[in-house]
Amino acid sequence: MITFEAVTKRYPDGTVAVDALDLEVPVGKTVVLVGPSGCGKTTSLRMVNRLVEPTEGRILLDGKDIREQNPAKLRRGIGYVIQQTGLFPHRTVEDNIATVPVLNGWRRQKARDRARELLTTVGLDPELARRYPYQLSGGQQQRVGVARALAADPPVLLMDEPFSAVDPVVRASLQDELITLQRELQKTILFVTHDIEEAIKVGDLVALFRPHGKIAQFDTPERLLGDPVDDYVAGFVGFDRGIRRLSFFTSQGLSLNTGPVQSADTTVATAQASGESWILVTDGGKPSGWVPADSLAGQPGSTPLSQLAAEPVGHTFTVGTDSLRAALDAAVLSPAGQAVGVDDDGQAVGVATFDQLRAAIQAAERAAEAAAAASSQPADATTDETDNSKKRDPGQPGVQPGVQSAPSGAQP
Amino acid sequence: MSWSWIPQNWSLIWQLTWENAKLGVLSAIYGLIISIPLGVIAARFRWFYPPTLAVVSIIYAVPSLALWIALIPAFGLTDTTVIIGLTAFSLCVILPNVVAGLRAVPAPVRQAATAMGYGPTRRLVTVELPLAAPVIIGGLRVGVVSSISLASLGQLIGVSSLSYLFIDGLQRSFPTEIIVGLVCVIVLAVVCDLVLVGVRRALTPWQPRRQVAIAQWTGMQRAALRRRPA
Amino acid sequence: MSFFSYAWDWLTTSANWHGSDSIPQQILAHLGYCALPLLLAALIGIPAGVWIGHTGRGAALVVNVANSWRAIPTLGLLILLAVYLGFSLLTWLLPLVVLAIPPILINAYEGVAGVDPDVKDAARGMGMTSWEQVIRVELPIALPLVLVGLRTSAIFVVATATIAAYIGLGGLGRFIFDGLASNNYGPVAGGALLVVVLAVLVLILFTVLNRLVVPVGLRRQAKLARTE
Repeated sequence: MITFEAVTKRYPDGTVAVDALDLEVPVGKTVVLVGPSGCGKTTSLRMVNRLVEPTEGRILLDGKDIREQNPAKLRRGIGYVIQQTGLFPHRTVEDNIATVPVLNGWRRQKARDRARELLTTVGLDPELARRYPYQLSGGQQQRVGVARALAADPPVLLMDEPFSAVDPVVRASLQDELITLQRELQKTILFVTHDIEEAIKVGDLVALFRPHGKIAQFDTPERLLGDPVDDYVAGFVGFDRGIRRLSFFTSQGLSLNTGPVQSADTTVATAQASGESWILVTDGGKPSGWVPADSLAGQPGSTPLSQLAAEPVGHTFTVGTDSLRAALDAAVLSPAGQAVGVDDDGQAVGVATFDQLRAAIQAAERAAEAAAAASSQPADATTDETDNSKKRDPGQPGVQPGVQSAPSGAQP
Repeated sequence: MSWSWIPQNWSLIWQLTWENAKLGVLSAIYGLIISIPLGVIAARFRWFYPPTLAVVSIIYAVPSLALWIALIPAFGLTDTTVIIGLTAFSLCVILPNVVAGLRAVPAPVRQAATAMGYGPTRRLVTVELPLAAPVIIGGLRVGVVSSISLASLGQLIGVSSLSYLFIDGLQRSFPTEIIVGLVCVIVLAVVCDLVLVGVRRALTPWQPRRQVAIAQWTGMQRAALRRRPA
Repeated sequence: MSFFSYAWDWLTTSANWHGSDSIPQQILAHLGYCALPLLLAALIGIPAGVWIGHTGRGAALVVNVANSWRAIPTLGLLILLAVYLGFSLLTWLLPLVVLAIPPILINAYEGVAGVDPDVKDAARGMGMTSWEQVIRVELPIALPLVLVGLRTSAIFVVATATIAAYIGLGGLGRFIFDGLASNNYGPVAGGALLVVVLAVLVLILFTVLNRLVVPVGLRRQAKLARTE
């Protein structure tokens, strides 16, 4: 656990980079510091491993003041990942990763073995072990940087814009892998970024900074989107935050209609009899196309639906695991204006209209508000509630509303 | 230290200083004149530079005295021999700086110039060389200072220069003369260096002072690597 | 007759290879005059340059040295010390060491100071002490430039040792100055040629050393940087 107590960083020329920061990073959680350039987020991060020393205040690591420890020793227990990786060009990949273990006295072979394990952990081919950094792509180098930080198995990781220097596709996959890794390893992570989307995707808690080193809001990503404390936060978070917030609501509670779902060998007559304006044709249980009721009109009643021209299904959503945002997106993309829900095997479960989506969204928002009211209590009381609810799916963040353990509202 | 010797021999001192200056400065200028076209070619055609650099490195390794000795049968014990030798050395120092300076011109600037309709020659003369000037002048400074110092060695093969004061002073066990010689060489070199700094400032009013100093420093680093042996 | 034919004639005269003041002896003497100053200059210049590059303190000193050392005429310095100290070890050792230090110092400084700041930040952030940062990260990365400094200095010392013969020392310069004094171009050319060969050998030696000692990752990366 990392605790900032009234930490201030003032430079000799008078600039205040960090202004009386109070922040707690709970054990095993990812806290993201996000804000505009120069807001003090990187400075704050670098104070944790004493690369920068605070002018006032103190920082505690698991209750102990970091100033009481020898800086080099302190840093060996903290993983450090930076934007430009800082990989040592004169060493192979495996020797780069093995750096801290070797510094700690491990035998080189043992350290290299661990390095190879870690290569697999971060999704790289262990064959890369004997290569040099210049031979790797940007994304690969970043993964090596993460592996290097994890080598000595530190409980804490500091990550300073680690994914900002790679292209968006690589960045997305690195973010996904970090989330997966974190589920396994449960490190205490302090992560800095200027990208609000990344903060929302990756963070359990997000601290949004104002310029000049003060926090505007420290909250869960979902509440940052749903309940920005002022115009600055709302503006920083972005204009379609309502829709983006839906990523945090699961589609579990969405009611579905099975009426329009008909298999491909159903006859036109049966389909017309159902009275639905759009029919979802399924083939072997999987959705294959939408047929509007109008096109049923001129057909002989005994024609099986499979013979009719159908419009493409578009996007489907997986019931229960995908979020309401995915369901809404599916509805928007569907020619029928109805979202097609499938199960984990791709079998059609049912469809939802915009009205049903609206109802589900409102229900989810009410539940979230109730949970917010319930959790405005001392922070330590709420830490136990998180575990069963944090189902963070890498591709589509969806967290059950209501059970969060963050202090609600703004940090001044 | 016999101070009175100085005014008594002022004309000698002055004449030797002038000879030395001529040898050093002319060599550096000739070196510059050769370096620029070579450097332009090397910057434009990547393949040209490594072999050129290899040849330059070898010439650089050759001590001046030895080079002059090799030229004696062809050019005799004359100023020409010394100047040719020092020009070759200056080339070694200035050429890498020309290449580095031209390569350091930001690609967007070059592209913008081309897009605006500058032909390659015009672009070179009006955009690239002026931007490369601080680095090139950095190399020229090293060339001039070293050439002046080395030119004094010409006296060893009989070419009049400030080493006369060293040699004469040794023969007569007269430290004053030696010290005067040292001071003259150093002062001459420093003065030429400062003149070049002034030239650089005059040529690059568009750069803030500190940045120029840094570009110069980097340029001089490259040249410093090539300090000619005495 | 050309330079080479004079030199060749002299070099192929077997008398020159025997007895006192023979070619082999002067070559050895010359090497001796070079090795010691170079070693001392390296012992002083490399640690100083590395330290200043790592801490950043004293960089002004390096700048001043870089700007001024080329102006000093080595012959003058040698002769001045010869007049004051006569023929002692210090007479030739001091000027050679003092003038061999700058290229080594400057290049060691530039090598360490020029290490990618992100690499230095990572090293520090990972928990390396100052000493570990220098030894494990900065110095290895600075190695190519340190070698360039040593090479420049070595070539310089080979040349200056030639000049040192003027104040009465041995070495290859002996042939040159004795020849000049007696108007005998043979030894002058021969001596000069030997000096050139020696200097070029030093150049080759350092190129090979660079290939052997510098890690592959560094060389290729530098090459990538230089050709782009």
